[in-house]
Amino acid sequence: MSKELIRLSDCVVKFDDEIVLDHLNLYINDKEFLTLLGPSGCGKTTTLRIIGGFQRPTSGDVFFAGRRCNDLPPYKRQVNTVFQKYALFTHLNIFENVAFGLRIAKVPEAEITRRVEEALELVNLPGYGKRSASSLSGGQQQRVAIARAIVNRPQVLLLDEPLAALDLKLRKDMQVELKRIQREVGITFVYVTHDQEEALTMSDTVVVMDKGNIQQIGTPEDIYNEPKNAFVADFIGESNIIDGIMLEDKVVKMYGKKFPCLDAGFAPNEPVDVVVRPEDIDIVSPEEGQIVGTVTEVTFKGMHYDIIVDFNGFKWLIQTTDYSPEGARIGVKIDPDGFHIMKKSQYSGQFGDYSSYSAAYDELNEDAETEADDE
Amino acid sequence: MKKNSAFSRFFTFLVFLFLYAPIILLIVFSFNQNNSNVVWGGFSLNWYRELFQNRIIMRSLYTTLLVSLIATVIATIAGTFAAIGFYGLRRRTRNVLNTVNNIPMMNADIVTGVAMCLFFVAFFALWKDFALWINSIQSLFTLPTRLTLGFPTLLIAHITFNIPYVLLSVSPKLRQLDKNLIDAAQDLGCTWFQAFWKVILPEIKPGIVSGALTAFTMSIDDFIISYFTAGSSSSTLSMTIYGMTKKRVSPEINAISTLLFVTVILLLAIINIREARQERLALRQQGAPSVSAGAPAAPKKPVIPQKLTRFAAALACCAILLTAGVGAFHNTRKPIVNVCSWGEYIDEELITMFEEQTGILVNYQTAESNEALYSLLKSGAGDYDVIVPSDYMISQLMEEGMLEKLDYSQIPNFSLIDDRFKNLPYDPANEYTVPYTWGTVGIIYNTTMVAEPITSWGAMFDDKYAGEVLMFRNSRDAMATALLYLGYDVNTTDENELRQAAGLIADAKSRGVYQAFVMDEIFLKMEGGNAAIGAYYAGDYLTAVENNPDLAFVIPEEGSNWFVDAMCVLKDAPHYEEAMAWINFIASTEANLRNMDFIWYASPNKKALEGYPAYYEELYKEELDQETYEIMAAPPETLERCQSYISLPEETRRLYNELWIKLGIQ
Repeated sequence: MSKELIRLSDCVVKFDDEIVLDHLNLYINDKEFLTLLGPSGCGKTTTLRIIGGFQRPTSGDVFFAGRRCNDLPPYKRQVNTVFQKYALFTHLNIFENVAFGLRIAKVPEAEITRRVEEALELVNLPGYGKRSASSLSGGQQQRVAIARAIVNRPQVLLLDEPLAALDLKLRKDMQVELKRIQREVGITFVYVTHDQEEALTMSDTVVVMDKGNIQQIGTPEDIYNEPKNAFVADFIGESNIIDGIMLEDKVVKMYGKKFPCLDAGFAPNEPVDVVVRPEDIDIVSPEEGQIVGTVTEVTFKGMHYDIIVDFNGFKWLIQTTDYSPEGARIGVKIDPDGFHIMKKSQYSGQFGDYSSYSAAYDELNEDAETEADDE
Repeated sequence: MKKNSAFSRFFTFLVFLFLYAPIILLIVFSFNQNNSNVVWGGFSLNWYRELFQNRIIMRSLYTTLLVSLIATVIATIAGTFAAIGFYGLRRRTRNVLNTVNNIPMMNADIVTGVAMCLFFVAFFALWKDFALWINSIQSLFTLPTRLTLGFPTLLIAHITFNIPYVLLSVSPKLRQLDKNLIDAAQDLGCTWFQAFWKVILPEIKPGIVSGALTAFTMSIDDFIISYFTAGSSSSTLSMTIYGMTKKRVSPEINAISTLLFVTVILLLAIINIREARQERLALRQQGAPSVSAGAPAAPKKPVIPQKLTRFAAALACCAILLTAGVGAFHNTRKPIVNVCSWGEYIDEELITMFEEQTGILVNYQTAESNEALYSLLKSGAGDYDVIVPSDYMISQLMEEGMLEKLDYSQIPNFSLIDDRFKNLPYDPANEYTVPYTWGTVGIIYNTTMVAEPITSWGAMFDDKYAGEVLMFRNSRDAMATALLYLGYDVNTTDENELRQAAGLIADAKSRGVYQAFVMDEIFLKMEGGNAAIGAYYAGDYLTAVENNPDLAFVIPEEGSNWFVDAMCVLKDAPHYEEAMAWINFIASTEANLRNMDFIWYASPNKKALEGYPAYYEELYKEELDQETYEIMAAPPETLERCQSYISLPEETRRLYNELWIKLGIQ
């Protein structure tokens, strides 16, 4: 494992008595692609701003390469930032935008030229130097913003929802691009997003945050497969979360029935949250099914159907390639590895019920993200 | 459709014609050869040439440019920082402040002007107490106790009303800024200050420039606020133009107005073209298809010109500040004398001669009437050194202790004054005054507009000439016409007599006898044949008759008023020595001759008075008409029929005021 580069120790941030960060502890390794993921107002941007030096923690310490740097202003940190809306300097052309940091640092002219051209090459914008910032498309402007940041050879690049303003297709391309750039320059990326797919695609480590607290830290696979609580399970992908009781190791009871699973380590008869991912459910005939329910809604999603099934008043989301018409009685079968058992938490009962399901669930939480973060 | 569009085009044409015809007329006649505003006498640049030789105009132009430039620079800096401050506030506070900022722009200029004037005068009063106190408790330095309206207050006023315009044009640029720009700059290694200079300022520069241009235009353009805050010692171009219109509208005014109009139009054009260009640029960049890569970046190129322009801008700023500073310094350091007199009451050559001889700058202002001058002095806004009031006003000012005794040892030319004009009732011991001119009041009439020659003051109240009569717009002279007609003493204090006189005027007024109550506007009206009869001063008749030979002058049979206008110095005048020098210069025979020739009022200088016909003959190579000379310098037998005003007791003055206000003339 590579060495630790940044450490936030017991950081608290308050704005007018409102707690934005609640005793946050986090370390970031060198050359790591770490993503802070969470809904708006969860404190992820604040965390980024603390690292960048734009925000001082109300209490707690920030360490950079082992040195406390609470009081270090942004311009003295070996950190550069890519801002959400690019924040390009419209009075300068592309070349001068990228060269800005180097000129402040009084780098010799020849080196500036070389490094700026390298950086523009890296972001696939060679020869764009003479053009004005406003003549570029959103994606191109974002590349310029990235070039402008990495040309300074920072140890850490902070990215504050850099792709939020781009359309879906461009966003996907840029995800790949960013990952490539990170590999090529080999520095630490700290990435802030509310888009779980983005987080899973690019990150080495994902930090899921909510209400100023870290909910879970782990690799994308860990986070997805082994969510710690209902919040993480719901926020990362889709989850059906059902109240259950852990009878003994590897046996969970719900709907009055016993199901074999792979989880262990709970107290006998401990109430738990049972997570079943929509894609881990097989549809079978009612006779074969472990439990039986009624289809209430079917939505075509291209690669699969989203089916809402009512099991004794609790609605599940099932993603399947098999079409079942509305009103059909179906049975479902879940393999032991399809269950994930979580301890009860403050989030229990708040997530995982699709009773109020709407086809637009993808878009939930995506609005007003920026405004809430700004204030 | 076509017919319709032709019609609408015609209609548009009419609208524009209506809008611009007056200005076009003004511009056209500024190139007129003769001095008429109606008859085209051929193209010439005479009026422009005269304009640039007119020292009062050139000085006010200098004042205008100086105050506009300094005010623009300061307001732009202050406004920009204010905008940045506002930007950093919460939205609600910002909205409140923006509204507060907009109020001065919407507010009537007159209110702003008066308010500022009051504020300054109140502050000066406070300052006086403060300075006296400071001076009394320590002896290290002495603070000046007497502050007056002048260039600094004018400048402060201009800065004040300019700031909102700068704010208004900078704020939107700031709002358009990406909120993260400062963060981005700091992130790239700038300190906060560098971020401000290298990023924020260049990003909002278009807003700052158009704000500065707007402010400059507003400053150049302003009359009302300047009028109330400039005091007596400075005068902006528009104030000077206003002062000039009090007399005949000379084509010189057309010329200067044309120049002012063109300047403002040019500034507006620059502002608009800049904005249009920016918009076009923005549009083109949005619509531009992405050009394929291949053009190699040229990093060196943008660097040098940028540095150059920055250098040039800095240089220009320094130059402006330097000129401004030097100008201000220059203005305050050179000895100066502030003179307040009447309109067209001096041969301006004399001012130039005096300045060349003594190195003392003359700041020459005019007041409309004795009463106007008095209220100006009382309000504390008139801080002159030398004033030239009429006899009765002099005794009033003396009684109120507003005059300073003169040092006659510094005025040797006083000995040249005819003994007839020394020790007059208004200054029995002759301690305060040196006579400037003297003259008589009479009736000017247009011989082509009246049936028979006017001989009586009755003409001023006669229905026969209803709508054709011009009455004095000052209470003393107006009341005198009625008192004389009624056969009373012009200095009466009898309330009945006075009420009777006022009743006579009020009655005539209600019957529509008077076309207007005027002072110097009488020139325009009588010369243009717009009125048949007007009471005014003999010397002014002689000026008017030059432009309209149909005019005649009479001292009515009931008798009239003869007056002396004399120079005196105000109490605590800041430039006493310079005032003495000025008075001595004006009392000289040469100055008296020149003045007599220019304003046609009689001189109190014995040699000048007697020598004028000869002077005239030599100058114009023709004999001076005896009749003209006698109108100018009334012979003793005419003077015998005339009475001079004496200062009225307080009670009577109040009555005058009351009666005058009742007449409803402002």
